[in-house]
Amino acid sequence: MNQFGILFHKEWRENLRNYKIFWIPIVFILFGILEPVTNYFLPQLLDSLGNLPDGAVIELPVPKPEEILQAVIGQYQLIGMAILILAYMGTIAGERRSGTATLLYVRPLSFRDYFLSKWLMASITGIVSVWLGLLAAYYYTFLLFNQVEIIPFLQFAGTYSIWILVVVTIVLAASAAMPNAGLAAAVSLALVFFMQIVDSLVGAYWTFSPMKIPVYAVQWLNGEPDLSDYWWTLGIAFAFILALLFFGTGMAKKKASTAKV
Amino acid sequence: MDQSTIVLLLLPILLIQIGLMIFTLIDLIKNPNPNGPKWMWAVLIVVVNIIGPILYLVIGRRNY
Repeated sequence: MNQFGILFHKEWRENLRNYKIFWIPIVFILFGILEPVTNYFLPQLLDSLGNLPDGAVIELPVPKPEEILQAVIGQYQLIGMAILILAYMGTIAGERRSGTATLLYVRPLSFRDYFLSKWLMASITGIVSVWLGLLAAYYYTFLLFNQVEIIPFLQFAGTYSIWILVVVTIVLAASAAMPNAGLAAAVSLALVFFMQIVDSLVGAYWTFSPMKIPVYAVQWLNGEPDLSDYWWTLGIAFAFILALLFFGTGMAKKKASTAKV
Repeated sequence: MDQSTIVLLLLPILLIQIGLMIFTLIDLIKNPNPNGPKWMWAVLIVVVNIIGPILYLVIGRRNY
């Protein structure tokens, strides 16, 4: 077996043993189900928990199914991204500290294969989790509200998968560049959340940036985003991912000597 | 929708939450060296819904 295969096998085993490939999808599915259900029961919930005076009448419009999926993405953008970042903050930085890294680094290791095997494993876990979660949300929305057309849904979930790739790449590159897992998480959380805030504040001046992918993903549900902007955004996102992959590989190599014995 | 369908719809949520809780508690009991006192994690996992088990799995297991 080639080196990449061996390293990937190691990553797979590790993710199996620390249960990441079980609990990350489960959490995404849970949040995917919770959103349509709470929306469905919102009138009853307000009734029993809302402390409303007797006789108060609230007319809630029935949300459109597309709005439910949009709300699910809202949850994923906050809790989901935080979970992905926290789960993978230590992939490289933690390995250096725990001593696993020294076992690897003393061998003639290709850092490209090393970094890519970790990246592939994290990306697979992230994308599979998000798809399972979105499919659960889709099914519940269908049961409780109405059907969302399948083609827009696939376009929406596909576009959102690219965003997951961006986030995973940021975490892994930060994990390679930072001295410990906590700092890696801080840097990637800051990048992912702060950049999105900046993008939504002053981002009106440019229409393509990787931070806009979730916005475009949601637009697929209600029609079609501006296609030239959309493809430019995806192109820039891929260039961004590629650059971060090179950066991460370089940093993993450069910081290899900081591994604790 | 009648009562039984609604119960069936809510069942997965309950199962996932309880499953996650039991799974995490078993892992905590078996864990020889969690990151922080065991009783604290046990309380957190049982009391704080969803977030408690996640926090334990992310921070408490020392698996990074």
